[in-house]
Amino acid sequence: MRPSPAVKRDRAKRGGMVDARGDDLSYLAPGPAAPLKNPGLDRARLLEMHRFLRLTRMLEEKLSTLYRQGQIVGGLYSSLGLEAISVGTAFALRPDDLLAPMIRNIGSLLVRGVSPRDLFLQFLARYDAPTHGKDGTLHFGNVEAKSLIGPISHLGTLIPVMAGAALAARMRGEDRVALTYIGDGGSSTGDVHEGLNQAAVLKLPLILVVENNGYAYSTPTRRQFAVESLASRGPAYGCAGESVDGTDILSVYEATRRAVERGRRGEGPTVLECRAFRMRGHAEHDDMRYVPQALLESWKARDPIDRFEAFLFDEGLLSRKDAGATREAIAADLDGAATEAMASPAPPPGEALRGVYYEPGYERPWWPAR
Amino acid sequence: MVARPMTGQPKPGTVRAIGPRRPAPRSVADPAAGTRALVPDSATLLEMFHLMKLTRALEDRIERKLYRQGKIVGGVYVGRGQEAISVGAAMHVRRTGDDGHDDIVSPSHRDMAIFLLQGIAPRLILAQYMGRRAGLTRGRDGNMHMGDLKHRLVAFISHLGDSIPVAAGCALTFKMRATDQISFCFFGEGASSRGDWHEGVNLAAVMKLPVVFICNNNQYAYSTPTAQQFAVKRLSERAGGYGIPGSTHDGNDVLEVYDAVGRAVDNARHGGGPTLLEFETFRMTGHSAHDDAGYVPKRLFEEWSRKDPILRLERFLAEQGLVDPAAVAEIERRIESELDDAVTWAERQPYPEPSECLEGVYAD
Repeated sequence: MRPSPAVKRDRAKRGGMVDARGDDLSYLAPGPAAPLKNPGLDRARLLEMHRFLRLTRMLEEKLSTLYRQGQIVGGLYSSLGLEAISVGTAFALRPDDLLAPMIRNIGSLLVRGVSPRDLFLQFLARYDAPTHGKDGTLHFGNVEAKSLIGPISHLGTLIPVMAGAALAARMRGEDRVALTYIGDGGSSTGDVHEGLNQAAVLKLPLILVVENNGYAYSTPTRRQFAVESLASRGPAYGCAGESVDGTDILSVYEATRRAVERGRRGEGPTVLECRAFRMRGHAEHDDMRYVPQALLESWKARDPIDRFEAFLFDEGLLSRKDAGATREAIAADLDGAATEAMASPAPPPGEALRGVYYEPGYERPWWPAR
Repeated sequence: MVARPMTGQPKPGTVRAIGPRRPAPRSVADPAAGTRALVPDSATLLEMFHLMKLTRALEDRIERKLYRQGKIVGGVYVGRGQEAISVGAAMHVRRTGDDGHDDIVSPSHRDMAIFLLQGIAPRLILAQYMGRRAGLTRGRDGNMHMGDLKHRLVAFISHLGDSIPVAAGCALTFKMRATDQISFCFFGEGASSRGDWHEGVNLAAVMKLPVVFICNNNQYAYSTPTAQQFAVKRLSERAGGYGIPGSTHDGNDVLEVYDAVGRAVDNARHGGGPTLLEFETFRMTGHSAHDDAGYVPKRLFEEWSRKDPILRLERFLAEQGLVDPAAVAEIERRIESELDDAVTWAERQPYPEPSECLEGVYAD
């Protein structure tokens, strides 16, 4: 659709924040940034956080390269600009808390201890991958060994599943919480409503992280919901609701920690909105020409890793030299992991039907038994 | 909740907006609540009284006589005790007979009065319940599963919550056609927990669609009490999650229903978008005619029978000098006589022939 002259004038006026539909998207530009504040983490934990952020970014860059080489089977969904949400939330959990990442939460998996090698294997669909090459992307989990529940492609469906997981934990007398993610778009699905309401009624320790990243594929948020913040969905169900800057990993961590505490105290679910911006297309194939360039530019200054690094530099917790060394070490690790993954064969055709139904002895040596 | 006496001055002439009439309703998001009120005129009051009486009598016939005589095909779901909501709300439906002008209604399964108001005669409703060819579904479906777009009625959908996106879709049509028609959507508090409900309400909020969401919170979804249905104090608090106005009202006070719905209708008709209205009431019966509601504490029935919406309106009308016991008895006599004739007529109607079974499944 060609923009009308009126829209063009408007666009010029607003510094290019109007899209081809005529929607004024200046509301999506980042507001003023508050300085990062350490909630009391020691240096080792902060540096660990930093390493996971950098690892997430570099792993995804490498996956993007592999995608362009035609080596990735299936789609690739980037969390560029959103890394602090995955890492910060997963960091606030105990290893036995139930965690269900979605497609943009590779950082959550890394924090939970999934190795880059397993992730490469999975994206390359090799036989040694968690799903033995029978599914791609992050579609795998392991409840017993890692308290990890795999993502469900149908957005929103994980919320009732995680409410159920939280209920199971409580019925067994465990004090584990359950955390999962939804995007601004997924929040409009009926399953979110049913799951969240059930969790609220039963006061389950569910933490629903709403990654408000501006767009659901090509739908900007004002075409998605009519509230200022999705945190207001919390009180609408009788849950806690919080909204934080999703590019500030320390705020994300601290808000998640509060939600975890509420959950463990039996105070029910929390809806935690993390505001950030999806800096790439919906998936690797999407050039996102529907996002005004000026909007993307406005978010570049809010890069979550740059912000956290600047904080570490300012606090004297990390030197520029050490930051460089971290990058080099990660690059070497990733090269090694990718090479190892490439050495694994594609699954034999006979594998396709295995494990479709229960097969004694087949499910057990499942990831990460090795 | 204590039933308070009805107040308000019926005015001659048409419905109009006037100043404060009674204490402000418990409004969640509508700052205008309590600052202006719609008061029905005497003729409207009497019409509402008659409709509530007729609804009660018709449903009593169906549930307590015909069903027990084995004459009803399928289940029976009545709105006993909730008549004020259907009547007070549906009085605002615009009915002119003009396709481009009339509002549309999606009733719940406890809104018999809406069918009557939209022009469906009791005898046709009885034929429907008895599975006769003269019924709205020509004997091929039972009870509330009837609709007629000629009468601007969307058929009730069994899958609770599904009518919400449908009602929002009707409203979208009106918006696209740039008419000032609106869509009325009725449901219970149980249906509000359904995913379809969320999707429909959110869509209506985002697109500012001309729809009024009317919840009859009758305290039980089948056997599930509200404490196990939602964790908010009032269901209207959901509205805050969608960015639309929402408020909770006494659903057994037909004047309060009339006022609250009237204002939401006015807002929707003038481009203000949807409103979520919750009306607190009580299901004075089981979920359905087969259900003895043994799970409902007896004292609740006793408590709520004192707040019976028909008796409350009757007392109010008597205070206003609009009815006396003789007039009420006369209204009842006429209704019973009308229903006697309607039942006789319906019972004489034939059942559908087996060969009709496939007619109209697809567009013929």
